Amino acid sequence: MFTRFNKASVTNWINFVIAMTEKEIKTRYKHTVLGFFWILLNPLLQMAVIGFIFQFFMPVKIDNYFLFLFAGLLPWNFFSYSISKSTPCIVYERSLIQKAFFPREAIVLSIILSNFFHFLISLLLFVIILFFHAIFFEFKNVFDFGFFLVRILSLVPFLLWLTLLTSSFSLFLSALNVKFRDINFVVQAVLPLWFYATPVIFTLNILPTFLRPLFYFNPMTPIIEGFHWALLNIQPENSYLWIIGFFSSVFFLILGITTFRNESKYFDDWL
Amino acid sequence: MKHKKKVAVCLSKVTKTYVLHHEKPTFVENFLKRNKREKFTALSKISITFSQGEKIGIIGPNGAGKTTFLKLIAGITVPTSGNIITHGKIVSLIDLEAGFQPDLTGEENIFLNALLIGMSRKKVQEMFKEIIAFSEISSFIDSPLYTYSQGMKLRLGFSIAIHADPDILILDEAVTAGDKAFRQKAGERIKALFQTNKTILVSTHWDEFLRENCQRFIRFDSGKIIDDGSIAVLNKYSLESNN
Repeated sequence: MFTRFNKASVTNWINFVIAMTEKEIKTRYKHTVLGFFWILLNPLLQMAVIGFIFQFFMPVKIDNYFLFLFAGLLPWNFFSYSISKSTPCIVYERSLIQKAFFPREAIVLSIILSNFFHFLISLLLFVIILFFHAIFFEFKNVFDFGFFLVRILSLVPFLLWLTLLTSSFSLFLSALNVKFRDINFVVQAVLPLWFYATPVIFTLNILPTFLRPLFYFNPMTPIIEGFHWALLNIQPENSYLWIIGFFSSVFFLILGITTFRNESKYFDDWL
Repeated sequence: MKHKKKVAVCLSKVTKTYVLHHEKPTFVENFLKRNKREKFTALSKISITFSQGEKIGIIGPNGAGKTTFLKLIAGITVPTSGNIITHGKIVSLIDLEAGFQPDLTGEENIFLNALLIGMSRKKVQEMFKEIIAFSEISSFIDSPLYTYSQGMKLRLGFSIAIHADPDILILDEAVTAGDKAFRQKAGERIKALFQTNKTILVSTHWDEFLRENCQRFIRFDSGKIIDDGSIAVLNKYSLESNN
């Protein structure tokens, strides 16, 4: 990906990715009356609508289902939105690719980082809601408050994991989509399926025992479980989950980076 | 007063083949017809060296491999076999308007486009005022790009590229931009560039321009370099192509 590993080229690479990310964020809210206010408004509306639907029409026996739903839905939405948007992105940006030599991965990463920015804001709003919820219902002494803070801070490694996994899939799929435009259709079909194969709207323990191991091979499972634990103190199913998830994520990361590296040289030939 | 000239670009046995596809392959087709792909050789076994400061005119009929040759040097695509070594920063003026975001303002586009063609952030900040001044779009600079006329966009693109200060400059048919007055200004600027020690590769069918500005000419035909030398190469080519 880097042509030469010197300080100047790394700085330029970072600046370029940042500039592309800024572009992604800025262009999204151009020509809207409310402008950047949508960054806050969008997740709030989403929470209200989906929370309302699931609260009343899908009675699942989980305490505070509304909170449970959002703890999983926020990271899932980041994942699925980033992948479905980045898969065709190299094809869409063909004029850039044909114009100059620049690090091609910046196109993919800018989409992921701009989505991550929006995801962080939604998450922050959610944590504020959780905090007030905890003040009224959970905190009995100062230790409870301390534990809450520790759990929220433990989100950081999960955020990193989620972002790396999303990047791996995005790099892999966007690179292949240049040669095989079928990939985009496959992604659109598989993502909704994948959603139900991830414990976002249910917990793993409502599943029959024989089905559970299948979920362990979904690298999104440990991440969502991690969010459930960090945000809501729901204990994960078992610790194998983290180990399998970790190794499969490392595998996908290597696969994503190498595929993109090999394919990016030939992007221009196929566009 | 003899000094050895540094090598700017060196190609050795560079071949570029494209897979000829009448339809984009799908998964199924790819598995069923794996060996049936037609190949098209755009360039075959090109070996050539350009020294620093050389001004090279690239001539030949359409489809001879000129653009592929320039794309390979610019690093936009890689050779199927062979090696390319380049020394110094390369900027190509292949498509001046590519990469502009219609919804962003002129200012925002300057930053993005300049970083895209390889300028550092610091350099853009230094050059920012000059880029705007040269492009002559003063009052429009904070308006979104879709409000710009075609000429304004070209001028902005040209201005960014010209301020990128490359060691190796690649011009592909994009020598003319904007209205008459700007074309003159741009032409002067390009001529000034030709006076510096930059390595410049131009591909154009505009013979007069080449005649005035280049010292070395390379003639392509069917993916091969068939002639390489002084102005005589250009004269021979224009004589032959006029018949």
